[in-house]
Amino acid sequence: MSLPIDKPFLGFGLGLRTDHYEDILRLKPKQIDWLEILSENYMVDGGKPLYYLDAIRQDYPMVMHGVSMSLGSTDALDYDYLKNLKALIQRVEPMWISDHLCWTGVDAKNMHDLLPLPYTQAAVNHLADRIAEVQDFLGRQILIENLSSYITYCDDAMSEWEFITAIAEKADCNILLDVNNIYVSSYNHHYDPVDYLDGVPVERVWQHHIAGHTNNDNLIIDTHDADIIDPVWALYEETAKRFGPVSTMIERDGNIPPLDALIDELEQARQIAGPYYQPIPYYQDV
Amino acid sequence: MSELRSLQRRFQEYLIGSSEAIKKDIVSTSDALAEHRLGTYFNAYRIRLLDCLAIDYSGLQKYLGPHAFESLALDYIKAHPSSHPSVRWFGKYLVEYLRSTYVHEDREFLSELANFEWAQGLVFDASDEPGLYRLEDMALVPAEAWPAIRISFKPAMRWLDLNWNIGPYWMALDGDEALPEKSRNEYPVRWLLWRKNRDPFWRSLEVHEAWAIEAAQNGASFAEICEGLCEWISEDAVAMTAAGLLKQWISDDLVERVDFQ
Repeated sequence: MSLPIDKPFLGFGLGLRTDHYEDILRLKPKQIDWLEILSENYMVDGGKPLYYLDAIRQDYPMVMHGVSMSLGSTDALDYDYLKNLKALIQRVEPMWISDHLCWTGVDAKNMHDLLPLPYTQAAVNHLADRIAEVQDFLGRQILIENLSSYITYCDDAMSEWEFITAIAEKADCNILLDVNNIYVSSYNHHYDPVDYLDGVPVERVWQHHIAGHTNNDNLIIDTHDADIIDPVWALYEETAKRFGPVSTMIERDGNIPPLDALIDELEQARQIAGPYYQPIPYYQDV
Repeated sequence: MSELRSLQRRFQEYLIGSSEAIKKDIVSTSDALAEHRLGTYFNAYRIRLLDCLAIDYSGLQKYLGPHAFESLALDYIKAHPSSHPSVRWFGKYLVEYLRSTYVHEDREFLSELANFEWAQGLVFDASDEPGLYRLEDMALVPAEAWPAIRISFKPAMRWLDLNWNIGPYWMALDGDEALPEKSRNEYPVRWLLWRKNRDPFWRSLEVHEAWAIEAAQNGASFAEICEGLCEWISEDAVAMTAAGLLKQWISDDLVERVDFQ
């Protein structure tokens, strides 16, 4: 499969977590092609977080992933946040930045959760305008990520994949397609996850997340605190078939295992996606 | 007001516990009741913030025990909904909440314990300073300039005046060791917190050092510090004592620079 020249392929990465700072800095594992940081964790004045960030950045390409842009909120965009984000971008020089297709609060409150939006044309227009405004301010395209969701709004007028596609096209942004989130939401809302994959434009998908979750029988919660289960791996293979070389990272936020265990999972991702493309880190060859 | 804004307000009111009107906006089926599905968000909101407080105030949680701490956290979550993009700052008002609102026989002790823990967090990720002032840099100060030197401290340095023996108590809590008796001093003791090699440190100060470091922070010259220290130190020993304090501050990596011009 050919790789669009403007769509970098970083290979297979991990989320940078405090538990692994020392191991990554000391061992510089070659199996990790790149790292994703949680932007808000480094929007501080100094100390250990920025020390390790700067040190590890010397060894790995990075992307920045945020949880607080609140793109779907009907409050005004938080320009203090965006200015801090821009400063961090200048420090990290990430390959790209991403946030979620969600809202986190209104009336200047923050619920610190990724809250879903109704899949309506009004929401498409609202989000696309806000993403365009953010992209203008940051001077770069951003990636938007699909959520795990647990509710369905009565007002929904389209599928989630139609929703995210419409927004990405209208705002001219790219997509972080979280394979685990598709699995979780398809389970919770009873749709075929492959329909989702077939409904998203290949050229706009620049990154994948894969992760573990918690199954409470009739509802799966996106907890990122367990190993990736086989059905998610199977869906990841379907994803690789359709989207080709897309930078992939494992999200682990709870019950964080030793680094070796995550590297083993990363190797599994490489083995699954490998037959569908050559996983060559972009900085070596593209 | 747009429909989307009204919807988000109803959702948020549900999360903070002030209204259930959002239920009519959510599809409810026999295997996915709206109440149950929404409850996932309701619970996640509290669990996330509770976890955040438990990290920032781990000693307080150990002291109170999980149930009392959860009860405190839920009251605080209700009283102080987060308004900052980073959950890092959610616990900012807990010290004051404990001091002014929380009903508990050990309210002052709890507030001081929380204050000590929050201050450690502030020290942990305070601004980095561009350079490191070393003892050997003192040699650059001409002898005649000493009376006029002024000391600037690093942004990570801060102090707390605590009535209770919080420092040793917190260390025992943190290390799961036998707890010392709680004791309240007649006068508050000043605790200095700072960062060295990226790790937080703290120690209690004797009253003369507590005064000197505050005077230096407020811009007093070395001569003025010596003059003030005469309240506790004999005149013939005061310059040596002040120089010793400065040497200690530099060794502890508290000093950003010493100006002598």
